[in-house]
Amino acid sequence: MTRRKRTARLILGLLTFLVLLAFAFPFVWMLLASFKTQSQIMSTDQLLSFKPTLANYTSVFGEHDFLGYMINSLIVGVGSTAFALLLGLPAAYAIARYHLHRLGLVILVARIIPGITFLIPWFILFSQVKLVDTYTALILSHMLVGLPFIIWIMISFFEALPKEIEEAGLIDGCNRHQVFLRVILPISGPGMITASLLSFIFSWNNFMFSIILSGEKTKPLPVAVFNFMSYAEINWGALMAAACIITLPVLIIALLAQRYVVNGLAAGAVKG
Amino acid sequence: MPYKWFDRNLKWIYVLPAVAFVLIMMLFPILYTVRISFFEWSMSAITPPKWVGLDNYLSLLRDERFWRATRSTLYFTVVALVIEVVLGVAIAVLLSREFRGKNLVKTVFLLPMVATPVAMGLVWLLIYEPTIGAANLLLESIGLKPLLWLASPVQAIPSLIVVDVWQWTPMIALIVMAGLATIPSEPYEAADVDGAGRWRKFTAITLPLLKPTILVAAMLRLIDVLKTFDIIYATTQGGPNLATETLNIYGYVLGFQYFKLGTASALLVLFFALVMGLTLLLVWLRKRVEGQYD
Amino acid sequence: MDRKSKRWLSAGTAVVLAATLMAGCGGNDKNGGAASPADKGPGGGAAADKPFAGKSISLVTANHPWADAIKPLLPEFEAATGMKVNVEGYFEDQLTQKLTVQFTAGSETPDVFMYRPLQEGKLFFKNGWLQPLDEYVNKDADYDFADLSKSAVGTATVDGKLAGIPIITEQEILYYRKDLLEAAGIAVPKTIDELVAAAQKLHDPGKGMYGFVARGQRSPLVTQVSSFLYSEGGDFMNGDRATINTPEAIKAFTTYGKLLKDYGPPGVLNMSWPQAFGIFGQGKVAFLTDANSLYKNATDAEKSQVADKVGFAPFPAGAAGSKPYNITSWGLAVNAKSRDKEAAWAFIQWATSKEIVLKTQEKGNPGARASVWDNPQGTTGFPAELVEVIKMSVKGGVDHDRPTVINVGEARDAVGEIVQKIITGEANIQPVADKANEALQGVIDLDKNK
Repeated sequence: MTRRKRTARLILGLLTFLVLLAFAFPFVWMLLASFKTQSQIMSTDQLLSFKPTLANYTSVFGEHDFLGYMINSLIVGVGSTAFALLLGLPAAYAIARYHLHRLGLVILVARIIPGITFLIPWFILFSQVKLVDTYTALILSHMLVGLPFIIWIMISFFEALPKEIEEAGLIDGCNRHQVFLRVILPISGPGMITASLLSFIFSWNNFMFSIILSGEKTKPLPVAVFNFMSYAEINWGALMAAACIITLPVLIIALLAQRYVVNGLAAGAVKG
Repeated sequence: MPYKWFDRNLKWIYVLPAVAFVLIMMLFPILYTVRISFFEWSMSAITPPKWVGLDNYLSLLRDERFWRATRSTLYFTVVALVIEVVLGVAIAVLLSREFRGKNLVKTVFLLPMVATPVAMGLVWLLIYEPTIGAANLLLESIGLKPLLWLASPVQAIPSLIVVDVWQWTPMIALIVMAGLATIPSEPYEAADVDGAGRWRKFTAITLPLLKPTILVAAMLRLIDVLKTFDIIYATTQGGPNLATETLNIYGYVLGFQYFKLGTASALLVLFFALVMGLTLLLVWLRKRVEGQYD
Repeated sequence: MDRKSKRWLSAGTAVVLAATLMAGCGGNDKNGGAASPADKGPGGGAAADKPFAGKSISLVTANHPWADAIKPLLPEFEAATGMKVNVEGYFEDQLTQKLTVQFTAGSETPDVFMYRPLQEGKLFFKNGWLQPLDEYVNKDADYDFADLSKSAVGTATVDGKLAGIPIITEQEILYYRKDLLEAAGIAVPKTIDELVAAAQKLHDPGKGMYGFVARGQRSPLVTQVSSFLYSEGGDFMNGDRATINTPEAIKAFTTYGKLLKDYGPPGVLNMSWPQAFGIFGQGKVAFLTDANSLYKNATDAEKSQVADKVGFAPFPAGAAGSKPYNITSWGLAVNAKSRDKEAAWAFIQWATSKEIVLKTQEKGNPGARASVWDNPQGTTGFPAELVEVIKMSVKGGVDHDRPTVINVGEARDAVGEIVQKIITGEANIQPVADKANEALQGVIDLDKNK
């Protein structure tokens, strides 16, 4: 019995490792490439053994204002996620508790419309009110991506919460609004973090809306990455260095958030 | 008194701001696109749009390339979605047990989803390069024949599916893991008493309880797979020989490379109808499933 | 403990939310604040000889070496005129997309932008997005407009009007590996037939060596097959008639397609210039045909392992001689809705003056001014061998490298399909070409109504 268990554990461990390897491979490759020169990247016999160079990173930070782009991305990502949470959490709760699924569908339509539909009309709108190349325009446009996501994830999360929790709150003398703020939200940490993580990532990576609505003042990272592609050359090394830098902050956030999710579960809040 | 009014109308106060925001942001683009779809217009500032009625729609329906794009879109979507859901659930279950280094594994696992698609598209482009790319090196090192990957009209879509699966399976897994966390432990304890095995517990308890979550994840994913753009645009731009031209890509080509805003708008309207139809199908499925377990 | 931790959590969420909200606003303020003093700077120091003091224009460029060369020179221009130039750069596909959206919305910005005369020029101009520049170019005799090459200006002219000013010119040439040819005792191919024979001889896929590479992607390949087409005596169209199914055209497409199919590396169907130059730079290919302006990808030791072994030759001759394209690949144009066209033109006049073209050309950007090419200093940016090849290519060159229609995108796809079908092994190509010709004719016919 214990022997069988040990083999099973070994197989599971191996499986986990393989999955990990498959999903991490392109990143390892990207990381390696960011330390290579162009001709080393193009060469098959220098896959692992090569003389690493930092030139790509100095070019990313030296020749371009990457820190500025990163701050732009951060402002837009945090801003759009925060506002989307503000609008999305109560909406998701109402939809889940009062069975307003039809309204939920209206919001989902925002995700269904192909992104390129928005480009020209939005530019017309935002340039009428002189908002092109402002954080406001970028935050509003990115919210339309993040909000439906937050709402839909939170609906299923709220629906899964036992009704007894709310009832206990109501008995304690809270009104419904207070129940939502003081009872429901505090135990919704894991769901909220999943939802805001995704919303933030969508904003962080958004390319299509950003390229139209941003300008020199507000240019976010994904648009800036293309600085390393030009008509006469593709600077693969710098491109990969830039890709690593784009990924790093989100990676850190993911790491921190992981701990939060795990702690939230460990506290057993959901089971009440 | 106003407090009571607030409490009584709470659901509307909660839900209306979000709905209003979405409607305000969407209304003009939708009206604009629908209107232009009845016109022929190259975006000229001199020649105004010319009313052509349903011509744009009719010409699309007669357009071989439109149907080809529709087929490619469905092929890509169905295969990618099925693989992602199955793999995503499997991985979520695999990662749900406790083990050392779990946090690290979970974080690495988040990476593909986090990484900027346009940049990752370029990474995959190099990986798939037939002569210098890592994919063929890998095949050759285990004694298999090298493939053409993105450069072959037949292998291009499967190659792109691999990228999509790599990138988005983690999202399904993440949502399913959040769902797993809400499953109470009592049914499992009861099953332990009955002496049920692992697989039996999975099919009899986990899967049914997860169904709503899986369907939400699948629905969100479905919409995004149908609309996949960045990865295809960064790797093949619809080639070779139109093999990977999906509806979204064709719409982009019509609008921004052929400058036929009317036809492009008509395509977007039809494409929207397709995505909407498939989404409603999943919503309906979800309702049925919920009815079953309520 | 449960209650307490819950309350703490809720308060924590509120604080985080509030903090992020403020971060959003703070960022906005900071930016607005920083911009205003900068705007006042030049205005404050305005002198009478600075005609554009306090004004500013926006310039949108492609990510192109020309933009890299012009940026360091801008402060000089700004100091002389008092004008502020705000530059934004985009990758070429995004540039088109961004410009299209802005012009469709009737935007006043950008004032000046880089564009591709042969790709978007006709459409942009006919859409009324470009300001005709005819009345500007002869205002100042020192500018010497006649010094710009005739064929380059021809490329930038639409309906007899000057749509933009050429800044980059290019021709198709043959890149080859000196060491391989020498070792095999093969002379540099002077004709297309010799090129095919040499590629066949050097093709040895078993050893990872391929004879020939060029673009194989549907749309990108069209410009590079064009020189084959002209050299065989064909063209994309003759007047208002599409001519991509003529015997000359089919011969040219077949030669190009077969070179790639029989002597090319695997995966050519998804290759544009980056992949083609990439594999050439790996030392795996003997011949490559592409634009001369991309030569650094082959000769820069950072990017190429065969940097010191690359030779350049004029495009090989076909039945009609050696007729590579010789075109303006990029130009500068003024937005028809720009608020300050005088300032916009003042910038273009400066950026395309003899003095500045010399400076940008020294950095390896082949310009359109004859006087700069005649100036020995003007060719220091290129390998000596390449300069000879460029001078020869310019003579017999054709002034377009793709069908000259409004809807270039659709026309390119029609041509590209024929070649891609040949590469994938379609034996009976005439029906494919006939169908593509019909599609191209459709594009041409639509032009007539506009």
